[in-house]
Amino acid sequence: MGNIEQLVATLSKDAAPVKPAPHPYILSVKWLAIASSYLIVSFAISGFRPDLANALQNPWFVAELVLLFVLFITAAIAAAVLSFPDMHQKRHMAYGPLWVGGVFVLMILFAWRADSPSTPLPMHSLACTLSIALFSLPPFVATFYALRKLASTHLRLTSSIAVLFAFSTGAIWERLHEQNDSIIHVIEWHYLPIMVLAMLALWLGKKLLKW
Amino acid sequence: MADNSVDYSALMRQALEGDAQAYATLLNETSRMLRPYLVNRLFSGNEVDDVLQEILISIHKARHTYDGTRPYKPWAYAIAKFRLQDHLRSHYANNLQDAEDIDEFENILSDNVTESEFSYEAISGAVDKLPEKQATILRMMHQEGYTAKEVAEKIGMNESAVKVAAHRAYKVLREKLER
Repeated sequence: MGNIEQLVATLSKDAAPVKPAPHPYILSVKWLAIASSYLIVSFAISGFRPDLANALQNPWFVAELVLLFVLFITAAIAAAVLSFPDMHQKRHMAYGPLWVGGVFVLMILFAWRADSPSTPLPMHSLACTLSIALFSLPPFVATFYALRKLASTHLRLTSSIAVLFAFSTGAIWERLHEQNDSIIHVIEWHYLPIMVLAMLALWLGKKLLKW
Repeated sequence: MADNSVDYSALMRQALEGDAQAYATLLNETSRMLRPYLVNRLFSGNEVDDVLQEILISIHKARHTYDGTRPYKPWAYAIAKFRLQDHLRSHYANNLQDAEDIDEFENILSDNVTESEFSYEAISGAVDKLPEKQATILRMMHQEGYTAKEVAEKIGMNESAVKVAAHRAYKVLREKLER
């Protein structure tokens, strides 16, 4: 008991005014605004895929893009909510990306089934994974830097959702930049590596976000 | 017991504005609120104090994630649960390294561990070299004459855990003395 009293005395001496962290919604809007600006600047430099107008005629491509954007938004909100010890008492928001992810996987499976006869595979393969990874690196670093300043009590889930947010930025860019309609290629070289990285983040979360 | 009349949120709001007195009151009340929660989940009084200290430090580190507009208790309990799980995980990870078969202990739980085949005086030197918890248990049983149940009450462990610790200590002593 004596130790506790001593500790309380020491900690209370350090009671300088503290600015509370922003509300998770404000935090996520900030992250989304930064990531969106990054996407806009990147498209201004690299340009959209030349056949974008044609690609937008394909309902599966539109559904994929819409769900990718929904995942991008829900992952940002969930990561922000999860970065508070009590999830800012908005537990339902923290699991949003898992539902969206489930719908996304279903949609991709239907798009795969609808891709008959199969669209020819592009010549490249790993190049897409690498460019998504490189593109996602700045949002990944920025998000984890921000998360480490907060205090998540769900380190693994927060880390995995933050990876989904950062890499969905890269996936959006790649999908709107690369002229490719092969769903097999997209599954194999775009989304599976992102899923693997999200799993890896589950494993590394305790180290990456330790506080 | 935690006092239900304490307005934790108001105290935290004041603490965030730099009021040291309010912060000290908040931390004291929080430790009062969390102690029963920890006592029900941990094995000894020392452990409760250790984990409580870790929790208070974590609350201090994470206080900027509380804005005073939502209930304080779920926030504090979330941190407490997080640190408790951390502690239990490392506790069990350490215990697993020197784990022994449970069947071995089923036989000894009904034993009278205060009676052993050697005199305490003859082995007191070896007892001092045991881990602190085991040495304390043997000293209390053989030097001070407490039963396993009484030792358990005194040091805040349960009786089975005391018996298991005593059994382990005898095993180590027997190995040392047979060498």
